[in-house]
Amino acid sequence: MVNNPYVALFRKLLIANRGEIAVRVARTCRVLGIPSVAVYSEADRGALHTRETDEAIPIGPAEAARSYLSIDAILDAARRAGADAVHPGYGFLSQNGDFADALAGAGLVFIGPPGSVHRAMGDKKGARRLMAAAGVPVVPGYDGDDQQDERLRTEAARIGWPVMIKPSRGGGGKGMRVVTRAEDFPSALAASRREARAGFGDDVMVLERFVERSRHVEVQVLGDSHGSVLHLLERECSIQRRHQKVVEETPSPALSPEMRSALCAAGVAAAHAASYVNAGTVEFLLDPQGRFYFLEMNTRLQVEHPVTEAVTGLDLVRLQLQVAAGQPLAFGQDRVRGQGHALECRLYAEDPENDDLPSPGRILHLAEPAGPGIRFDSGIAAGSEVTVHYDPLLAKVVTWGRDREESIQRMASALERTAVLGVVTNLGRLRAILAHAAFREGALDTGFIEEHLDEVSPHDCPPLEAIAAALTALRLERRPSVGGVAARVPEPWENLGPWRIGEGEA
Amino acid sequence: MIRLRCGETRMEAVVREKRDRVEVIVEGRPFALDVEAVAPGVFASRNGDSVRTFHCVRDGDEIHLFWNGVAYRLVEEGEGRRAAQRHQSGGLEAPMPGKVIKLSVAEGDAVRKGQEILVVEAMKMENAIRAPRDGRVGKIAVKVGDMVAPGVTLVELQ
Repeated sequence: MVNNPYVALFRKLLIANRGEIAVRVARTCRVLGIPSVAVYSEADRGALHTRETDEAIPIGPAEAARSYLSIDAILDAARRAGADAVHPGYGFLSQNGDFADALAGAGLVFIGPPGSVHRAMGDKKGARRLMAAAGVPVVPGYDGDDQQDERLRTEAARIGWPVMIKPSRGGGGKGMRVVTRAEDFPSALAASRREARAGFGDDVMVLERFVERSRHVEVQVLGDSHGSVLHLLERECSIQRRHQKVVEETPSPALSPEMRSALCAAGVAAAHAASYVNAGTVEFLLDPQGRFYFLEMNTRLQVEHPVTEAVTGLDLVRLQLQVAAGQPLAFGQDRVRGQGHALECRLYAEDPENDDLPSPGRILHLAEPAGPGIRFDSGIAAGSEVTVHYDPLLAKVVTWGRDREESIQRMASALERTAVLGVVTNLGRLRAILAHAAFREGALDTGFIEEHLDEVSPHDCPPLEAIAAALTALRLERRPSVGGVAARVPEPWENLGPWRIGEGEA
Repeated sequence: MIRLRCGETRMEAVVREKRDRVEVIVEGRPFALDVEAVAPGVFASRNGDSVRTFHCVRDGDEIHLFWNGVAYRLVEEGEGRRAAQRHQSGGLEAPMPGKVIKLSVAEGDAVRKGQEILVVEAMKMENAIRAPRDGRVGKIAVKVGDMVAPGVTLVELQ
């Protein structure tokens, strides 16, 4: 069967998300000629993502629980718009099995796996058991049903310190804590439970041995509804802060070709074990000895999917839509090849010099980097309000190069030209990571930031010449006749590498 | 005379307009830069043959500057404001708008530097506010569940 790209996959797609991912999904809709609908809370009135679609529908107050996390509000918006499919993005309802079921019940296509898969993988406890049964290695730990504090404390001591406490439901690092001493365990467990209850409405915990100096490597998988599962290579996401990824790349500098084959095969085995359909990610921990262990499966599109797109030439959102429409995958594993190297840096509204505290405010000015091999996926524009209600991710800078060195060089240069004024961002930290000798050598582990960049030098003052230039510039601005040149927003595909496979139009 | 503050550093500058040029003196050093606006908030500064593009916007008394890949925030201070800045409230303030989800101390408690005083949730993360020094907890102005804004004293520290 040939997938005809000229027949629209869906009549109208509702994007149940906000920020950069909503903008990202809308762009693929435009490429495919599918009308798209944005939703927005009161806090997001006029936000960039509401301007990138054909329609935008208000869904409720700023509070996520009553807007982006409200199944009823999203369903209602989809009905009002006459959409026949819903893309959940990441976060919010993207891994909510009840949401997937509710859409199916209403006759709408959910762009992702069915509710049962979300529930099975969303329960880290059950997922660990399923993967162990399928022969996929898991980290030594505790995934039992007895959740009493006392039992968890005993199990933690049995596993051996340091121990990672993880909410069985949830993600994004929320509620996760590493405990190095037995006496800290009770308060850490209480805090994790509180965060998990607030974030995910459930406080069941999994314990895992915390492997020091480990790397985070994950496999992108893609399954169709006809039983095929492919992997789209790996991504390394070892540079993290508070268990949230900051810099991602592919290929991983840690893998030999043999290790890569074994890891990707384990990813495919995990996806089969989960009866997986659509795009998903199998996360692994890679220890210093080169052994890998299953961590969890993310049943959605990942934040860092653009690096995979950059090296494979594939549009993952497009593939998601094709698979969700019932089309079989149009290419086999042998057609998936990585070309070159890609990096992603996450630009957050947070202050690395102040405990990574979020930094809400108004974006007064934004200059986006552009050029060959540079992609900028952004959810903000000049004038955007960054509020306390949602995740502080502002944008992602993605670079591609023929090799790791070239993509790092392009990234360093792109960051230097990424000007965000009005809120404090982690740009300085990103630049410091890129410039660090250990990063350049590919010597990464999940403790990289704490080890190498914990001591952040306080805000420096600009050089006197810069102050003089700024004061001169502001004086100029008060004069009339300064011509404005509107900033051009580049399409994300303009600057991608030139590869494309199996898409029927090459 | 313009008084500027960058973090804890204070500086003085003078801006003078000459016929076709703006002369700026910063901390006693004169600059006569050839600055040209190239787009809203974007400027090119020429100094001899060297050219540098930079970004600059004003927001009230704040000047936001992106120079050589680094973002800076300068605050223009009026007379009298400096004295106010020096006044230390002796209390802990919320660093951002958020919700108090935990109070870890009671009034009268002795606390050590670095000890968790309260936890504010914002942007889905728990942020512990810790004692900046050893001391004793004075008045606690908030309770769990309160929404708080920056600049308001939450807990007095004596």
